[in-house]
Amino acid sequence: MLVVKKLEVFYGNFKAISNVNLKLRSGSLVAVIGPNGAGKSTLLKTIAGMLSYSGSITIENVEVRELSPWERIRYVTYVPATIATTVDITVGDLLLSTEGVDLRALENYVRMYDLRNLLNRRIWEVSTGELERALIVRGLSRLSKVYLFDELLSHIDLRYQIRVLKHLRRLVNEGRLVLVASNQLSPLLNFTDYVVAIRAGKLLAAGPTDEVICNELLKELYGVKAEIIRHRNLIDVVPIDEVKTSST
Amino acid sequence: MVAALLVGSLLSTSGFLIQVCTRNPLGDPYLLGISSGALFAVTLTFVFPPQSPLVFILRPLAAFIGGFLAYTLTHAIAMKAGYTPTSIVLSGVAVGTTLYSLSLLPQYLILFDIHKVFAWSMGSLIGAGPIELLTCFVILVGAYAIAHRYLPVLNALNVSDDFVRELGYDPGKLRRTMTGLAALTASISVAWFGIIGFIGLAAPHIARRLLGSGDVRYVLPTSIITGSVLLLLSDTAAKALFLPLDMPVNIIVSAIGGPTLAIVLMRMRKYAGS
Repeated sequence: MLVVKKLEVFYGNFKAISNVNLKLRSGSLVAVIGPNGAGKSTLLKTIAGMLSYSGSITIENVEVRELSPWERIRYVTYVPATIATTVDITVGDLLLSTEGVDLRALENYVRMYDLRNLLNRRIWEVSTGELERALIVRGLSRLSKVYLFDELLSHIDLRYQIRVLKHLRRLVNEGRLVLVASNQLSPLLNFTDYVVAIRAGKLLAAGPTDEVICNELLKELYGVKAEIIRHRNLIDVVPIDEVKTSST
Repeated sequence: MVAALLVGSLLSTSGFLIQVCTRNPLGDPYLLGISSGALFAVTLTFVFPPQSPLVFILRPLAAFIGGFLAYTLTHAIAMKAGYTPTSIVLSGVAVGTTLYSLSLLPQYLILFDIHKVFAWSMGSLIGAGPIELLTCFVILVGAYAIAHRYLPVLNALNVSDDFVRELGYDPGKLRRTMTGLAALTASISVAWFGIIGFIGLAAPHIARRLLGSGDVRYVLPTSIITGSVLLLLSDTAAKALFLPLDMPVNIIVSAIGGPTLAIVLMRMRKYAGS
């Protein structure tokens, strides 16, 4: 269980997150959605203990800021979609540049994400999609209670999008909590149980995917008119046009 | 021989730490001004007679303060200049050249035993007594022990500050600690043996090549071995080639180091420029 209470995060004088309260159960896959600059990454990084915050964030009743360095990675794993490629390291080095890795899982994921032939390549020699796959594998191989995927699905192709979402479902079925921040609502929303929508650092809506996703919310979040297609268990969001809202 | 091994280890540790902290393949105590800063501070201690026992404390201390301040200055200028690999090195060259020329001044003004002082500032392993070797050894072991504790985190620092934060460490604090160690290891070597450039640059690169990997857990020990062997070979060559002259080892090291720098620069174009 992840509980966030009265969370506030500042970058200097700029309030990036204001008064966010959340309760997320273990064993759920949560989409964190919102426009550019809404605070999605900030929220994930704060939960990972990477930014200082006021208020409280607890994972299984343990306050994140009180976790000691080596304890923390057993609680949270943060996965970015990209990193600066100005360093002289190989894809293999990148995969091992962390702690708390299950080496057997790592080997399996390397095979499943077709990274075997890339292991000895420098990180600036591979494509952005291949780099994202490597970062995904690096994150999946860690053993934590909560997984935070930032800007997931940004660079990877459809096949790997489905593959990673299936793997995230598997983590969730094992009782882990997974948060995914992304702008790729499709196919993400087909796999999530819960949606957290934020805009300008404030929580706009939080609830089961089916209940939360509606035209009003999409209009308020992104300033777009969208067609929401529901078919059996599937949900798809097709943006049609821009609309004027009070904030745009 | 022991001096060559120890100094090679110290310089490659320093170069390795700078390369990780700045994520810059051109990291080297000489290129970034640490060595010149240490050299300048040590020349100021020449107002004391060389026989004074005070010198054994004063010289390393002055070298460390000088080296650390010079690096702080390089860092500050580089930050103003955008902190790209090139701007870091150019700031280092600016700081290093200035301090190097300033260090020549007291050498000429004080003028005692100018030949000896000159040979020292040229980078020479001559005059390695037990106290010199012992202090080098103690600092090498101490610095390695501290760096070793942080190796897994340094692996993260080598890639991204976010990865360091994720492990629960403050990247700024970690950088300051490691930079301090880099200044310490380089300056003790300058205090006794003057400026020996490029070992710190070349050793980690050769180590990465040999390993085929940039995993710092293996690169650090390998570059220490590479650096000490490199300096030992250079020292042997300096002695053998110019017999009976006692040629400063730095002349040979620079002859190897210059081309290494050129090769690293050409390889860098591929990624750091983009």
